[in-house]
This record gives sequence, structure tokens and C-alpha cells, in this order.
Amino acid sequence: MHLTDEEQRILNGEHGEPQRLSLQVLVKLGEAYGAERMVEIRSAHLVGSSYQIAGEAGIAIYTQLVEQGARVKVRTTSDPGSIDFTRWRQFRTPAEYAERQILIAELLDRMGVIPTWTCTPYTIFNVPRFGEDLGWSESSAVVFANSVMGARTNRLAAYVDLCAALVGRVPRFGLHLPEHRRGEILFELDPALSASFEDHHFPVLGYLVGQVTGDRIPVIVGIREATFDQLKAFGAAAAASGSVALYHMVGITPEARTLDEAFGGRPPVERIFVGKREIARTLEQMSSGNGGTVDVVGVGCPHASVDQMRRYASLLDGKRVHAGVELWVCTNTVVEEMARKMGYVETIERAGAKLMVGTCHNDCPLGAWGFRRLVTDSGKFAYYTPTTVGSECVFASTEACIAAAITGQVERR
Amino acid sequence: MSSPRVILQGRGCSPGEFEGEAVVSNQPFGFWQGIDPQTGIVIDRRHDQCGASLKGKAFVFPFGRGSTGTPGIFLEAVRNGCAPGAIVNVKSEPMIVACALLAEAFFKVSIPIVDSLEKDPQELLRTGDRVRISGTSGIIEVISRV
Repeated sequence: MHLTDEEQRILNGEHGEPQRLSLQVLVKLGEAYGAERMVEIRSAHLVGSSYQIAGEAGIAIYTQLVEQGARVKVRTTSDPGSIDFTRWRQFRTPAEYAERQILIAELLDRMGVIPTWTCTPYTIFNVPRFGEDLGWSESSAVVFANSVMGARTNRLAAYVDLCAALVGRVPRFGLHLPEHRRGEILFELDPALSASFEDHHFPVLGYLVGQVTGDRIPVIVGIREATFDQLKAFGAAAAASGSVALYHMVGITPEARTLDEAFGGRPPVERIFVGKREIARTLEQMSSGNGGTVDVVGVGCPHASVDQMRRYASLLDGKRVHAGVELWVCTNTVVEEMARKMGYVETIERAGAKLMVGTCHNDCPLGAWGFRRLVTDSGKFAYYTPTTVGSECVFASTEACIAAAITGQVERR
Repeated sequence: MSSPRVILQGRGCSPGEFEGEAVVSNQPFGFWQGIDPQTGIVIDRRHDQCGASLKGKAFVFPFGRGSTGTPGIFLEAVRNGCAPGAIVNVKSEPMIVACALLAEAFFKVSIPIVDSLEKDPQELLRTGDRVRISGTSGIIEVISRV
């Protein structure tokens, strides 16, 4: 790989041990994947900020780096942690567990990481521009930055993201190269489905696309319009059920103004037809068990926006979450603050729901709750929570989720 | 049981030398929620190697199903001395290669990785085979067969 004089000096240790080790990892990774050179990045986002992911090995790495004087070189934000820093006792997080997450927060703080604790850094703290190179992890954020914003990042592994942040570079391969961003597999929506596409179909379609696509680049044609939050839900589901890091939605996402542009002039290698039957079948796969009494309802995955907080508040206004049911709304501190100013937090909390800020059901240790049945409107939760929470899962629309929290019962659709 | 030595050429993705026993699977594997980092035992109940220990073994599987959190669990296993000693894939994804490179940089443990053999490694290697793996040259040598 070609290295600049500056990069050579970093590898020689002239900029300290953290940069030397970081660049060594990145260069070897680049060599394994045919990168010809490194590329400077505008920002980084770290998935290893969560104790559930980082564990003691992560603490050992962060401690070493801090002792060696590591500081991030580009804007760097943190993914959700494994605790709600102010309410962890409410969520029955063991104190010794919370202490380890708080230690990670201190270590990241000393390296200059912005403590955003969110999987949606692209909404406010760390907003990429079209064509910018980034060093991000967190699959749902990577897919959003690439697909909706047109920025360029591979799905970095935990700690590789920090290496990238410490040297402000990543090896230039994969999605950093325009020729590797072209669509490969075409998903065509049936006109009848297009005409009646509902809000909760976005995560279902994402889940379906992820399952079929794996790590290729899907192109979706037939979506007439989509909100920011709907694209967020679609991508998060596709990145969970597959490992989709970039999708093109013709007429919606910036590198897919036309079908031809989405495929870069090449024909698709595979065409998949998606009709109402395929959506119904995926919906079926996203749930387990037969429905019944609800233990916990999870909304806000990826982290809820102010618009979504308004929607939860309007659905909960004057209502009451059923006794024995937990309704958890996951978001970040900035949205929480805005939603509080708008009065939404008060409405949500008055109904008996809880805000879960800076973390989510997937990142927290929830074993102490003994949940048997989770209801969620998130394709990502539906994919992961049966394992992380150890419960059955029913996927439903946002309205049906809130209704399930109020009645304490859910039917499997 | 000893038989004539077999030498396979692949692509070295992570440097280092290994000699030991192989654990061979024909299923993709995700370390995140797939391995107990305290013991090195496979805990993914959907996986054909569930219950097998990967500690110090050459783990042969087609490709990784990589959550970006993969190195979290993998390095925890490295720190506990319970990680695989080498990895052989049909195609190694960057997530797996990153695990080995991070282990080397931060824990001074080298875990050679080889992929892209001329043939499917499941056809060439069997669980229990004794193998020598060079992540530097990409050469795998079968020393003895089960």
C-alpha cells in the first residue's frame, strides 16, 4: 500500500504509540482488502462505547490508550451505552455493571469523544455530507450515512473505529470506492403494494431485503415517498437481518435518481419481486410465539426523533399503560430535551411509559426482568431481542405497539 | 493416523504461525452471541459446533456473520486465553480480520488467518486434523489426519 510521508512517520512512532498501533491495524486491514492507500475521514462513530460490546477487553484497550495520551483527531461520537446514565436503577441494572459503563464513559471522555450515546448521530451531532469519507461502525448508522446521505464508510468493527478516529484515516477499499457502490440486486415492488405502502412496512421490507441481500448492495424500486424516520427504520432492519451497509432506493436516495444510476449502468445480477404476499410472509417471520400477555413494549429503535416522540405522545395522551406492562421509549439526550420542552415527555411519562435515554433494550442487561413477551415496531429489535432479552417477540406497527402497552395484550398478526 | 502430507496455498489475511488441531464447520459463524469468551466454547444453539471448544484450535468455517461488535467478544476471549489459535475461511470478512489484527496490536497475541484456498476448506480439512498454518505465507500444511 502507498503510504504518505506523514503516515510513514506515524508508523515509525513519531506521533506516539496510540497512533502507531492504530495505523498498523488499519494498514494491515487495508492490505488484506487490496487498498492502494489510506483516505482521510471527516468523522468517526464508535460502537465499542457500550460495555456490553466492549467488556473488560475494551476497558483494557481504552485504559492503555488513555495512559499513552490518545486523543481523537476527527469529530468522534459514541453509540448508545449499556446503561441510561441517569435512570439505570429504574431499569434494574446491577450497580457493578453500571460502574464499568461509567468508567468507559470517563475513558472516552479523556480521548475527546463527544458523549452522544446514540445510534442516530447523523441527526444532529455528526452530520455527514454527500461524498465525505467516514470511519463509522454501528450498522444502522453506517447504512443511513451511506444510503440516505451519500457519505462513504465501510462497516468498521469495534475498536477499528477508534483506530480510525485516532489517526483520522481509514484504508480506502470497499464503499469508499465509487465503483463498489453500485447496486447488485433489484427489489421490485408490486404496484399494488407501492400504492398502499404503510409506515410499518418500511422495517418489514428492510428485514426482507436484508435476508435476501446478505452483504450485497440492494436497489429498491417502487417506493413513492419516504420520511427520514421511515428510511432510518428500513435501513436498521436491513442491516440487522443481513449486513447491508448501503442500499439505493430509486427516486429517494441520492445515488439513485434513476434505476440506471443506481446500478451504475450495469444490469442487476438478480431480480426479486416483492408483493403483499412477501410482506405478509416476512411479517410472520419477524414474530415468534402466539401473542398474549405483554411484558414489555419497545419503541425508539433506532433512537426516536422529535417527530416520533410527538407521535408517541399523541397516542398516549390521556391513556394509561396497563398494570404490569413496561413501555420503554428509547432516544438520546437532545431529543429528550426537545421533547420535554414540547410537553411530549410529560404526556408520555404521565401515561406510565418510561424514557430510556442513551441506551436501548439491545444494549442493557435485562435478565433481572424475566421478560417473556416483547412487542416492538423495530425490525432491528425484532431480529436481536429474542436473543438479548431472551423473550418471544411480536413485531407490530407503532400504533399497535402503543395499543398493546395500554391493553396489556397483543395479537400476532 | 499419518498419511502423506497435504499442502494447501491460500491468502494470508493476518500474519502469524500456528500448529494444532482443526475444528471444521460448514456453517457461517458469528462470534457475537456465538462464543462464551470465558471458555472458548461455542454457545450458538443453531450452529453445528455448539458445545465445541475453539480455545487454541484452528477454526475452519465458510465466513463470518459479523456484527460490528464482533471484536468485543473476540478480544474478551483473547484476553482470557480462550480464543481460536488460527482461522481458515472460504472468504474472510473484514470484521474477522480486524479481530486478529487488534489482538496482535493490543494483546500481543497473533492469530493467523488464511482464506481463498483453491478448494472449499471443508472438503480439505476435518475436525481433529493436525495442521500447521502460516498467516504470513498463506500456506496450510496437514500434518496428520484423524
